[in-house]
Amino acid sequence: MFDVLIGNLTYLLRGAVMTLWLAVAVVTLGTLLGAGIGILAAVGNRIIRGTITAYIFILRGIPVLVVMFLGYYAFPALGLRVNTYVAVGFAQIVYVGAFTAEIVRSAILSVHPEQIAAAKSLGMRRTAILREVILPQAIRIAIPPLLNNALTAIKQTSYASVVGAWELTYAAREVVERTLASFQIFLGVMAIYFAICYPLSLLARWCEKRLMATH
Amino acid sequence: MPMIEIRDLRKSFGGLDVLKGISFEVEKAEVVVVLGPSGSGKSTMLRCINLLEDYHSGEVRIDGETVGYRINDGGRRIARPEAENAKVREKVGIVFQSFNLFPHRTAIENVMMGPVHVRHMAKSQARELAGGLLEKVGLADKAHQYPATLSGGQQQRVAIARALAMQPKVMLFDEVTSALDPELVGEVLIVIRRLAEEGMTMIIVTHEIHFARDVSDRIIFMDGGVIVEQGPPDRALASPSSERLKLFLRRYQGDYLAV
Repeated sequence: MFDVLIGNLTYLLRGAVMTLWLAVAVVTLGTLLGAGIGILAAVGNRIIRGTITAYIFILRGIPVLVVMFLGYYAFPALGLRVNTYVAVGFAQIVYVGAFTAEIVRSAILSVHPEQIAAAKSLGMRRTAILREVILPQAIRIAIPPLLNNALTAIKQTSYASVVGAWELTYAAREVVERTLASFQIFLGVMAIYFAICYPLSLLARWCEKRLMATH
Repeated sequence: MPMIEIRDLRKSFGGLDVLKGISFEVEKAEVVVVLGPSGSGKSTMLRCINLLEDYHSGEVRIDGETVGYRINDGGRRIARPEAENAKVREKVGIVFQSFNLFPHRTAIENVMMGPVHVRHMAKSQARELAGGLLEKVGLADKAHQYPATLSGGQQQRVAIARALAMQPKVMLFDEVTSALDPELVGEVLIVIRRLAEEGMTMIIVTHEIHFARDVSDRIIFMDGGVIVEQGPPDRALASPSSERLKLFLRRYQGDYLAV
């Protein structure tokens, strides 16, 4: 029954490699973008905060699939021709960035205000307070939700297939069209996605334990 | 010139007037204890001195320099830039009721924070200074422990060492023993008394009446955002002239039926 899966496994694994590349790009750049925006949202002036809040709220209210389509069609609409992966990656980075920004922003704000008072009272300046007091504590708070966010981002790369970016899910659909063995193939795809995400789930658990231990 | 000069200090939160015109001076090496019921504005007053709380009118001077504002040639009140406020805070150490140690740093790293990140002292030199201060507060053996593993009394002594590391001219204590178990209060008060004996200029907000009598040169009693009475401890505590201070002392000296 699973011969068809085994026979097409190499092809699927090649798709998985593309998925991994896409995931690494989206998670890294999305997290960096989101972290920067999240910090700005916590320390910036009213205009900056307002702009970022709008960005976060808008992206939060849109399904990732729609963001994918928008990202894909935005470039041609602007008269630009870009590689499908770039368009897909861009859309996903913007999407992941919004969720990351919200996590980072709320982690920074959840550092107790008296910590800032204590740092100020020593004569510390704004940047030193942010760097030495706020961010180290905020990171501890943010790491578990950020890892969770990364897991979601990895799985969301499968939406790239709908606009024709070839990766694991797209490869699977091709194989299904050829073999008609939908169930077996997608069972295999499920196992591959799980294998990609499982180590990150374990890392999240491990971090959680470590962080509990130091507080 | 007095070390601390407060003139007609006023502050309100929303519509609530918390400080309704506070004026007093503290001389160099003088120890002033501020007593008063909760909500009387003591902590707010203390936090205005190093501008952790902004104030609406009046004037605070540390060592002759105005805090938070300066008056321009036209007599208008101009807010000082944050860098100047930070400069003033370097001269004023404060210890909080809730310790507020940095939980991600060990005891000695907490004490090194100011010297390294404000004074830009070399780490090795800061470590030496911090080690000496921890020894002074009796915690040399806890230097590498994180705050979470220390008792409340120990944490508060680290907090005192952290403030002293900036070699402040003035120390402010904001109900520093109120969050401690009774058996841990003594170890903190002993450290503060030693500072008083060394000639540190201090304002101490506390509910420890015996300690106040013991350590202070002057008692200030606040209620409802004003100074109700002040004087040397033997007079203010033994024969208070105002009804409100009498009542306050009766309550705090264990007469729980006094209303």
